[in-house]
Amino acid sequence: MTSPARSDLDRLLDAWASARRLPDAEAELIRQAIVPAVPTLSGTWWSDFNDKISTAIARATVTPGPALAALP
Amino acid sequence: MTPGRDDAAVFTRIFDEHRNAVHAYFLGRVAEPELARDLVQETFLRAWRRLSELAPLPADSQRAWIFTVARNLAIDSYRAGAARRAAEAALRSQAATQETSVAGPHRQAEARERLARLDTAIGRLPEEQRVILTMATAGELTSSQIGEALGEPAGTVRYRLSQARKQLAAALDLEDEP
Repeated sequence: MTSPARSDLDRLLDAWASARRLPDAEAELIRQAIVPAVPTLSGTWWSDFNDKISTAIARATVTPGPALAALP
Repeated sequence: MTPGRDDAAVFTRIFDEHRNAVHAYFLGRVAEPELARDLVQETFLRAWRRLSELAPLPADSQRAWIFTVARNLAIDSYRAGAARRAAEAALRSQAATQETSVAGPHRQAEARERLARLDTAIGRLPEEQRVILTMATAGELTSSQIGEALGEPAGTVRYRLSQARKQLAAALDLEDEP
Protein backbone atom coordinates (compact mmCIF):
# COMPACT_ATOMS: atom_id res chain seq x y z
CA MET A 1 0.00 0.00 0.00
CA THR A 2 1.25 3.45 -0.84
CA SER A 3 1.21 6.05 1.90
CA PRO A 4 0.37 9.71 1.11
CA ALA A 5 3.92 10.71 2.11
CA ARG A 6 5.38 8.17 -0.27
CA SER A 7 3.18 9.46 -3.06
CA ASP A 8 4.45 12.93 -2.29
CA LEU A 9 8.03 11.73 -2.70
CA ASP A 10 7.08 10.04 -5.96
CA ARG A 11 5.49 13.22 -7.28
CA LEU A 12 8.52 15.23 -6.29
CA LEU A 13 10.84 12.71 -7.97
CA ASP A 14 8.69 12.81 -11.11
CA ALA A 15 9.00 16.60 -11.23
CA TRP A 16 12.73 16.38 -10.64
CA ALA A 17 13.11 13.75 -13.38
CA SER A 18 11.12 15.88 -15.84
CA ALA A 19 13.39 18.83 -15.15
CA ARG A 20 16.53 16.77 -15.55
CA ARG A 21 15.58 14.61 -18.53
CA LEU A 22 17.29 15.33 -21.84
CA PRO A 23 14.94 17.64 -23.78
CA ASP A 24 13.77 16.29 -27.14
CA ALA A 25 15.26 19.25 -29.01
CA GLU A 26 18.66 18.66 -27.42
CA ALA A 27 18.45 14.95 -28.17
CA GLU A 28 17.70 15.74 -31.80
CA LEU A 29 20.77 17.97 -31.98
CA ILE A 30 22.88 15.11 -30.66
CA ARG A 31 21.36 12.70 -33.17
CA GLN A 32 21.97 15.09 -36.03
CA ALA A 33 25.57 15.58 -34.94
CA ILE A 34 26.11 11.82 -35.13
CA VAL A 35 24.13 10.82 -38.21
CA PRO A 36 25.21 12.66 -41.33
CA ALA A 37 22.35 13.84 -43.46
CA VAL A 38 21.48 11.29 -46.10
CA PRO A 39 20.53 13.08 -49.33
CA THR A 40 17.10 12.25 -50.57
CA LEU A 41 16.09 12.11 -54.23
CA SER A 42 13.33 14.32 -55.48
CA GLY A 43 10.14 12.60 -56.61
CA THR A 44 10.64 13.77 -60.20
CA TRP A 45 14.31 12.92 -60.55
CA TRP A 46 13.67 10.00 -62.93
CA SER A 47 11.52 11.99 -65.40
CA ASP A 48 13.94 14.95 -65.15
CA PHE A 49 16.79 12.57 -65.88
CA ASN A 50 14.97 11.08 -68.87
CA ASP A 51 14.17 14.54 -70.23
CA LYS A 52 17.83 15.51 -70.11
CA ILE A 53 18.93 12.28 -71.80
CA SER A 54 16.29 12.65 -74.52
CA THR A 55 17.32 16.24 -75.20
CA ALA A 56 20.99 15.26 -75.40
CA ILE A 57 20.26 12.43 -77.82
CA ALA A 58 18.07 14.63 -80.01
CA ARG A 59 20.77 17.29 -80.17
CA ALA A 60 23.47 14.76 -81.00
CA THR A 61 21.54 13.12 -83.79
CA VAL A 62 19.95 16.09 -85.54
CA THR A 63 21.23 16.63 -89.05
CA PRO A 64 23.23 19.87 -89.26
CA GLY A 65 21.91 22.69 -91.45
CA PRO A 66 24.84 22.63 -93.99
CA ALA A 67 24.35 18.91 -94.42
CA LEU A 68 20.68 19.42 -95.15
CA ALA A 69 21.51 22.18 -97.63
CA ALA A 70 23.95 19.91 -99.45
CA LEU A 71 21.32 17.31 -100.02
CA PRO A 72 19.98 17.13 -103.56
CA MET B 1 31.22 3.10 -43.48
CA THR B 2 28.88 4.54 -46.02
CA PRO B 3 25.67 5.22 -44.17
CA GLY B 4 22.36 4.86 -45.89
CA ARG B 5 18.83 5.86 -45.03
CA ASP B 6 18.16 2.42 -43.55
CA ASP B 7 21.17 2.74 -41.23
CA ALA B 8 20.00 6.16 -40.12
CA ALA B 9 16.52 4.82 -39.40
CA VAL B 10 17.85 1.86 -37.44
CA PHE B 11 20.17 4.10 -35.47
CA THR B 12 17.41 6.60 -34.73
CA ARG B 13 15.21 3.86 -33.33
CA ILE B 14 18.02 2.65 -31.05
CA PHE B 15 18.89 6.22 -30.08
CA ASP B 16 15.29 7.09 -29.20
CA GLU B 17 14.85 3.92 -27.21
CA HIS B 18 17.92 4.33 -25.02
CA ARG B 19 18.82 8.02 -24.93
CA ASN B 20 16.88 8.88 -21.78
CA ALA B 21 18.33 5.94 -19.87
CA VAL B 22 21.88 6.70 -20.97
CA HIS B 23 21.46 10.38 -20.13
CA ALA B 24 20.03 9.47 -16.71
CA TYR B 25 23.00 7.19 -16.09
CA PHE B 26 25.49 9.95 -16.85
CA LEU B 27 23.51 12.45 -14.77
CA GLY B 28 23.93 10.11 -11.84
CA ARG B 29 27.58 9.54 -12.54
CA VAL B 30 28.87 12.97 -13.48
CA ALA B 31 26.12 15.37 -12.37
CA GLU B 32 27.33 18.21 -14.62
CA PRO B 33 24.65 18.52 -17.35
CA GLU B 34 27.03 19.62 -20.13
CA LEU B 35 29.39 16.76 -19.46
CA ALA B 36 26.49 14.30 -19.26
CA ARG B 37 25.27 15.53 -22.65
CA ASP B 38 28.74 15.18 -24.19
CA LEU B 39 29.05 11.65 -22.85
CA VAL B 40 25.64 10.74 -24.26
CA GLN B 41 26.81 11.98 -27.65
CA GLU B 42 30.07 10.04 -27.43
CA THR B 43 28.24 6.86 -26.41
CA PHE B 44 25.89 7.02 -29.37
CA LEU B 45 28.65 8.06 -31.74
CA ARG B 46 30.34 4.77 -30.91
CA ALA B 47 27.02 3.00 -31.36
CA TRP B 48 26.69 4.57 -34.81
CA ARG B 49 30.21 3.53 -35.81
CA ARG B 50 29.53 -0.05 -34.69
CA LEU B 51 25.94 -0.16 -35.92
CA SER B 52 26.49 -3.31 -37.96
CA GLU B 53 27.48 -5.07 -34.75
CA LEU B 54 24.82 -3.48 -32.55
CA ALA B 55 21.74 -3.50 -34.78
CA PRO B 56 21.24 -7.28 -35.08
CA LEU B 57 21.28 -7.76 -31.29
CA PRO B 58 18.02 -8.23 -29.36
CA ALA B 59 16.81 -5.20 -27.37
CA ASP B 60 18.19 -6.34 -24.00
CA SER B 61 21.57 -7.06 -25.52
CA GLN B 62 21.57 -3.69 -27.25
CA ARG B 63 21.02 -2.04 -23.86
CA ALA B 64 23.84 -4.06 -22.33
CA TRP B 65 26.13 -3.15 -25.26
CA ILE B 66 25.33 0.54 -24.99
CA PHE B 67 25.81 0.63 -21.23
CA THR B 68 29.12 -1.17 -21.50
CA VAL B 69 30.26 1.73 -23.67
CA ALA B 70 28.68 4.24 -21.28
CA ARG B 71 30.36 2.73 -18.22
CA ASN B 72 33.74 2.76 -19.93
CA LEU B 73 33.27 6.38 -20.93
CA ALA B 74 32.29 7.30 -17.36
CA ILE B 75 35.45 5.59 -16.09
CA ASP B 76 37.57 7.41 -18.67
CA SER B 77 35.90 10.64 -17.65
CA TYR B 78 36.73 10.02 -14.01
CA ARG B 79 40.31 9.28 -14.94
CA ALA B 80 40.49 12.54 -16.79
CA GLY B 81 39.30 14.24 -13.66
CA ALA B 82 36.51 16.13 -15.38
CA ALA B 83 33.66 14.29 -13.75
CA ARG B 84 34.95 13.96 -10.23
CA ARG B 85 35.46 17.69 -9.98
CA ALA B 86 31.86 18.44 -10.79
CA ALA B 87 30.01 15.46 -9.41
CA GLU B 88 28.70 16.23 -5.94
CA ALA B 89 28.87 20.01 -6.02
CA ALA B 90 26.98 20.49 -9.25
CA LEU B 91 23.89 18.60 -8.21
CA ARG B 92 23.88 20.31 -4.83
CA SER B 93 24.13 23.78 -6.29
CA GLN B 94 21.66 23.49 -9.16
CA ALA B 95 18.23 24.85 -8.58
CA ALA B 96 15.60 22.92 -10.44
CA THR B 97 14.39 24.77 -13.49
CA GLN B 98 11.05 23.17 -13.93
CA GLU B 99 8.35 23.23 -11.31
CA THR B 100 5.32 21.11 -10.81
CA SER B 101 1.96 22.30 -12.01
CA VAL B 102 0.87 24.71 -9.32
CA ALA B 103 -1.32 27.76 -9.09
CA GLY B 104 0.12 31.08 -7.97
CA PRO B 105 3.60 32.47 -7.42
CA HIS B 106 3.75 31.45 -3.76
CA ARG B 107 3.13 27.80 -4.56
CA GLN B 108 5.55 27.98 -7.51
CA ALA B 109 8.25 29.31 -5.19
CA GLU B 110 7.43 26.56 -2.72
CA ALA B 111 7.65 23.92 -5.47
CA ARG B 112 11.00 25.33 -6.63
CA GLU B 113 12.27 25.24 -3.09
CA ARG B 114 11.24 21.62 -2.63
CA LEU B 115 12.85 20.62 -5.93
CA ALA B 116 16.03 22.43 -4.97
CA ARG B 117 16.07 20.57 -1.66
CA LEU B 118 15.51 17.29 -3.50
CA ASP B 119 18.32 18.17 -5.91
CA THR B 120 20.64 18.77 -2.98
CA ALA B 121 19.59 15.55 -1.28
CA ILE B 122 20.14 13.53 -4.48
CA GLY B 123 23.58 15.07 -4.84
CA ARG B 124 24.46 13.85 -1.35
CA LEU B 125 23.49 10.25 -2.04
CA PRO B 126 26.29 7.71 -2.44
CA GLU B 127 27.08 7.39 -6.13
CA GLU B 128 25.82 3.81 -6.51
CA GLN B 129 22.45 4.90 -5.10
CA ARG B 130 22.32 8.14 -7.09
CA VAL B 131 22.98 6.40 -10.41
CA ILE B 132 20.24 3.86 -9.79
CA LEU B 133 17.81 6.54 -8.67
CA THR B 134 18.39 8.69 -11.75
CA MET B 135 18.09 5.66 -14.05
CA ALA B 136 14.81 4.67 -12.37
CA THR B 137 13.34 8.18 -12.43
CA ALA B 138 14.75 10.19 -15.34
CA GLY B 139 15.64 7.02 -17.28
CA GLU B 140 12.34 5.24 -16.54
CA LEU B 141 14.02 1.84 -16.32
CA THR B 142 12.84 -1.05 -14.17
CA SER B 143 15.11 -2.58 -11.53
CA SER B 144 15.73 -5.54 -13.83
CA GLN B 145 16.68 -3.29 -16.72
CA ILE B 146 19.00 -1.25 -14.50
CA GLY B 147 20.54 -4.48 -13.24
CA GLU B 148 21.16 -5.67 -16.81
CA ALA B 149 22.60 -2.32 -17.79
CA LEU B 150 24.96 -2.08 -14.82
CA GLY B 151 25.75 -5.77 -14.45
CA GLU B 152 24.18 -5.89 -10.97
CA PRO B 153 21.53 -8.28 -9.59
CA ALA B 154 18.03 -6.78 -9.69
CA GLY B 155 17.74 -7.39 -5.94
CA THR B 156 20.79 -5.21 -5.31
CA VAL B 157 19.27 -2.50 -7.49
CA ARG B 158 15.98 -2.63 -5.56
CA TYR B 159 17.81 -2.49 -2.22
CA ARG B 160 19.89 0.54 -3.27
CA LEU B 161 16.82 2.25 -4.67
CA SER B 162 15.01 1.67 -1.41
CA GLN B 163 17.96 3.04 0.57
CA ALA B 164 18.09 6.09 -1.67
CA ARG B 165 14.39 6.76 -1.18
CA LYS B 166 14.74 6.46 2.58
CA GLN B 167 17.56 8.97 2.61
CA LEU B 168 15.61 11.38 0.42
CA ALA B 169 12.49 11.04 2.54
CA ALA B 170 14.55 11.75 5.66
CA ALA B 171 16.23 14.76 4.06
CA LEU B 172 12.89 16.19 2.95
CA ASP B 173 11.06 15.37 6.19
CA LEU B 174 8.80 12.90 4.43
CA GLU B 175 7.86 9.43 5.55
CA ASP B 176 8.87 6.85 2.98
CA GLU B 177 7.16 3.80 4.45
CA PRO B 178 4.05 3.64 6.65
